[in-house]
Amino acid sequence: MVVTVEWYVLLGAVLFTIGALGVLLRRNAIVIFMSVELMLNAVNLVFVAFAYHLGDINGQVLVFFVMTVSAAEVAVGLAIIVAIFQSKKSIDISELNTLKG
Amino acid sequence: MNDWTLTILTFLPLVGVVTILLLKPFGGESDTKIKGIAVGTAVVTFLFSLFVLAQYNPAMAGLQMQHKGDWIPGIGVSYYLGIDGLSILMILLTTFIAMLGIASSWSAITTQVRNYYIFMLLLEVGMLGVFLAQDLFLFYVFWEVTLVPMYFLIGIWGGKERVYAALKFFLYTMAGSLLMLLAILYMGITNGTFSVPELIANRALFAGAQNWLFLGFAVAFAIKVPVFPFHSWLPDAHTQAPTAGSIILAGVLLKMGTYGFMRFNLPLFPEASVYYAPFIAVLAIIGIIYGAIVAYAQHDAKKLVAYSSISHLGFVMLGIFSLNEIGLQGAIIQGVNHGLSTGALFFAVGFLYDQRHTRELDDYGGVWKAVPLFSALTLIVTLSSMGLPGLNGFVGEFSILLGSMGTEALSPSWIYTAFAVTGVILAATYLLKFYQAIFMGPLEKEENKSLREMNGGELAIMLSFLLFIVWIGIAPAGYFGLTQATVADLANTLSEIVNNTAPVLMQ
Amino acid sequence: MNTFALAPLLLILPFLGMLFNLFAGTRLVRQDAQTGERWSGWTASILVIINFVITVTLMSSLAANDYHAIIVPLWDWFAFIGEFHIPWAMQIDTLSVTMLGVVTGVGALIHIYAIGYMHGDEGFARFFAYLNLFIFFMIILVTGNNYLMLFVGWEGVGLCSFLLIGFWHDRKDGVGLANSRAARKAFIANRVGDAAMILAMIMTFWTFGTLEFQPVFDSAVEMFTSSQAVPLFGVSFELGVVLSTITVLFLIGATGKSAQIPLYIWLPDAMAGPTPVSALIHAATMVTSGIYLIVRSNVLFEIVRKSEYLLFGVISTNDLVALIGASTALWAGLIAFTQWDVKKVLAYSTVSQLGFMIAAVGMGAYVAGLFHLITHAIFKALLFMGSGSIIHGMEHGHHHYVDHHRGHNGHGEGHGHHDGHDDFDPQDMRTMGGLRHKMPWTFWTYIIGTLALAGIFPFAGFWSKDEILAHASWNLTALPDQWIYPVVYALLTLAAFCTAFYMGRQIKMVFFGEPRSDVVAYVPESDWKMVMPLVILAVGATLGGLINLPHFTEASYKASKDSYGESNIYLAMEKAVEHSIESFHLTETGVVSMPYTPTWVQMTVAVVSTILALIALLLAVFVVYRTKPEQATDPDPLQVSPLIKYPWAFFATLPLDTLLVKGFVEKLFNPFSDWIAMRVDWDFWHDFVHNNVIRDTFNTVADFLANILDPKGVDGVVTGLGKVTMRLSGLLGLVQSGNVGNYALGVFLGLVVLVTYVVALGWMQ
Repeated sequence: MVVTVEWYVLLGAVLFTIGALGVLLRRNAIVIFMSVELMLNAVNLVFVAFAYHLGDINGQVLVFFVMTVSAAEVAVGLAIIVAIFQSKKSIDISELNTLKG
Repeated sequence: MNDWTLTILTFLPLVGVVTILLLKPFGGESDTKIKGIAVGTAVVTFLFSLFVLAQYNPAMAGLQMQHKGDWIPGIGVSYYLGIDGLSILMILLTTFIAMLGIASSWSAITTQVRNYYIFMLLLEVGMLGVFLAQDLFLFYVFWEVTLVPMYFLIGIWGGKERVYAALKFFLYTMAGSLLMLLAILYMGITNGTFSVPELIANRALFAGAQNWLFLGFAVAFAIKVPVFPFHSWLPDAHTQAPTAGSIILAGVLLKMGTYGFMRFNLPLFPEASVYYAPFIAVLAIIGIIYGAIVAYAQHDAKKLVAYSSISHLGFVMLGIFSLNEIGLQGAIIQGVNHGLSTGALFFAVGFLYDQRHTRELDDYGGVWKAVPLFSALTLIVTLSSMGLPGLNGFVGEFSILLGSMGTEALSPSWIYTAFAVTGVILAATYLLKFYQAIFMGPLEKEENKSLREMNGGELAIMLSFLLFIVWIGIAPAGYFGLTQATVADLANTLSEIVNNTAPVLMQ
Repeated sequence: MNTFALAPLLLILPFLGMLFNLFAGTRLVRQDAQTGERWSGWTASILVIINFVITVTLMSSLAANDYHAIIVPLWDWFAFIGEFHIPWAMQIDTLSVTMLGVVTGVGALIHIYAIGYMHGDEGFARFFAYLNLFIFFMIILVTGNNYLMLFVGWEGVGLCSFLLIGFWHDRKDGVGLANSRAARKAFIANRVGDAAMILAMIMTFWTFGTLEFQPVFDSAVEMFTSSQAVPLFGVSFELGVVLSTITVLFLIGATGKSAQIPLYIWLPDAMAGPTPVSALIHAATMVTSGIYLIVRSNVLFEIVRKSEYLLFGVISTNDLVALIGASTALWAGLIAFTQWDVKKVLAYSTVSQLGFMIAAVGMGAYVAGLFHLITHAIFKALLFMGSGSIIHGMEHGHHHYVDHHRGHNGHGEGHGHHDGHDDFDPQDMRTMGGLRHKMPWTFWTYIIGTLALAGIFPFAGFWSKDEILAHASWNLTALPDQWIYPVVYALLTLAAFCTAFYMGRQIKMVFFGEPRSDVVAYVPESDWKMVMPLVILAVGATLGGLINLPHFTEASYKASKDSYGESNIYLAMEKAVEHSIESFHLTETGVVSMPYTPTWVQMTVAVVSTILALIALLLAVFVVYRTKPEQATDPDPLQVSPLIKYPWAFFATLPLDTLLVKGFVEKLFNPFSDWIAMRVDWDFWHDFVHNNVIRDTFNTVADFLANILDPKGVDGVVTGLGKVTMRLSGLLGLVQSGNVGNYALGVFLGLVVLVTYVVALGWMQ
């Protein structure tokens, strides 16, 4: 059986959906964070697959950008979560509604 | 190759402004110093304008000493100065009148001295810019720049109803110039340039809209001149302005309107000019007669002189819309003449007002007896304003009347001339009334007996006015020579159009 | 010897004299009246005398030059203005030199006279400055080589006239105001004429392309002989039509300056000026400039005559000129009967005599008009100066009388000059009488002047007036189809009768009979500076006829004509002046046909007019005014005589004056200008339109808009906007739950929408 590009795209879609559901349904900030990572990497996977399929290097270059940005995001995001936990003693997002308008 | 002469000329008064502003930080601000710097700056500017005159080539019709640089290249706005026959006399008049105006304020202005002279010098920058700008956008900026200092000059140092007068002056002229702004933007944006010579070269592009564009400009200029019936701001502004303000207002600011007609309306919209010439000429003649009659009925000396301006500028407008060389030449020289003689009249009234604090004709009488020299000199000024041949007023009036009868743009022209010539009679009625009420008759009022004669500075100012009043009166050829090349060029363009459009009259 | 290079001195000298008097003279007089007046007066006078000498040398240079006109150019005036080019240049020809002779000759005598007359006046130097300025402008007027220079002089002398009429503008008790009002009236009446002059010059320029005399006349003749049409205002006209218009406008100018109907009304008022001024400006020189203008433009007038164009199909310009002149002559002569003021009588007499001259030039008798101009200048100056001498005498007599009177009554509070608080009028003839014993020199010279004015043989006026009448009567038969000659002849003969009558009335009332006031007893004779010019002018008034003596018989004239060029005493002036009056030459070549002036005495005319004049004089002196008036308060005999009562009363009201000044100016123009200025311009246009129409409308609209948005006023706009924003934000705030999950859901929903949109877009394509 040949693993065609459709399989990679399907896998990416599944992973993205799992990530999206995680973001929407879970309350733990860390888990949401991980779900976001999952979504990002699902997209990365699709990028690489298409890049390979189309023989275009640009997709792979973009993956490097995404990885860099997500690394930066993780650094900042985790720092925020740590800071929030230190002040609120909780990272349950249903309790974190101080930005309510 | 850019010539910086005109740029230096335009912004020379700013040097004075900066110097005055620097006085305080550097410790030694005093009223005398401020006055000295302001007068000095004005004198230097005048001398520099004489230098410009020396550089000027009267045989050349086009723009000279051009300075052109990009300003907002995206929409075609440039910094473009140039001088030609239409501007040269106006520049000399501006620096001259501004110099005398600033000098005449020496003892009259006692409050907020620093601001007063800063506004005066800023006003001079604006006026010079108006007469030199060859880019519509730049012109508009300078045009509006002159409004602000004048507004404050009237509003702060004016008479009892100064705020009303200043506001009226500001709103009135502003309202007019907005229409001009629309016309300017239309032309600039559709042509991608605001440069006047380029627009003239490409005027076929907006020839279709020229009747509207003409009106846009005409309203702004007509208010400034002022052409009847847009004149009602003038008596307020003149009576409320301080003496120097009146001198500059009459001497230069009103000329910006007539200059605008010559610089923009005629060359940019020649067909529209020919089309509207009879209408404007009729308004001009109404202005001549109406201004004179109204002036005759005044009891307030300054108001009388203000209305006389309406009458005199009617002559200038008639000359412009004769659309021929004699009329245009006459209009330019008459603009200068009006600046000199009305400026001098305002100076004379101011001289009396500063001592008596009244402008009512009835409060004077027999002043000749008290101040004979001043009265004699004022008599010459009055006669000049009346158009006595041998003095400057006659030169302009006669040329204009001559031009108005010789033109084919107005038809039948003799009717226009015949009506306009009644202004000559009426001028005698109101000016003699003015002169006799103030200077002649027995000297009976105690307050008038203590009037003092002019001091050295005032005498010098009066004599400066008189020098040119007599000079232009007996030898105007030199002045006509400065403007002829440009005016002949313009008149040729116009006469071609007149000949093509004017219906041939059959006997 | 050629002295034409001296011509500019004619202008320079009086101008310097004016400057001297204005700056040095006033100071000198203030420091020391005695020497100051001597310096000031004599400097001014001597400069004019020098001018007279120069004029004489110019005359001889012209004679040596075969009377050819010489142009002395000075500098460019108008240039670089289209095709309009006017120089400052002097034209020296026999006409201008003749006028110069009058101006400087009579002028010099009047200057000297004025030294005596103005003695003690605080404005002494100023007076002489004005007189010199007047001479300066008058010389510009008569020597300019173009119409525009003529006009400079024309208005310049008007200015001097204004200044001199209003010379005593600072007198108290309303006198000063009346004087300055008279000055203004003169200036404005003249301006009406001047406006017409301006139009005339403009039309001349557009017809001929220049304003210089000779080129204008040359091209007029050329256009006329070639029947060229004139393109003007885009239409082409016949030359006759254009020139008729131009000459009518010149005529209007002349009616202003030369005081003809309807603009003469300023001249009688002009007597408010000092008497030397009346003599110089308002009798001898300035008022004759209208005649000079017409004589100078004789070519244009003659072309009009030849072209036979009738104005409005009624009357030709020439006839109109003649008619106006003749009517004025009679009209003013009639008004002179009703005057009490010794100078007013002379003023109306001047108007009347100017009418003679205008009538003469209208009939084409240019030389006769000019001749009368010269003799009139001499004898009317004489009469005015005589009247000045009388007034001077009466004033001094009054001062002495008052002093004497006060001294006797012991009032003693004031010596010297009275301050004018009583209403004694030194010019009122009713207070005079019997002055001949008091002022013998004045009396005898005045009599000579009167005889000359009345036209009694052989005084100067006889010759010149007779030449005008002879011209009219000759053409009355020579040109029987012209109605103007009989009319003018009749009017002028009547006017001549009137002249003699009112002069008889005047000398009777002033010099003869019993004194009608106590003042007369104290009247002294004037001093030699005033008497000397009177004597010189009296000689002139006696012998003045010699300058243009006609032949006595036709045979003598014919004989002289056959041997033309042989110098004899006859027609000296005509022989000189005809070189400047081109119409003589053009009539010979047949281009125009100037009516012929007989140059030998027309016996019938001479006899008739002399007899009439004698009758009138005798009637006035020995019949009508024989014993009357006896008292100063008595009415005039004419005023009470049954037949003449009503016409007398009519003329006494000064009909035209009343109509124009009281009627037009005071009742119409002044209220009209007030109405325009106060009601229309200020109340309506300035206040109502701007305040009520524009400002209030704007305010109302603004209020209205503000009230719609918020009843509380303009602020409502701002607060209203704020409230709307608040409410909207309240709604939007609900969305902002602060719950990350909700936000994320929003993001996804947005994504879904976007994706759906993109897919749908792709699907649709």
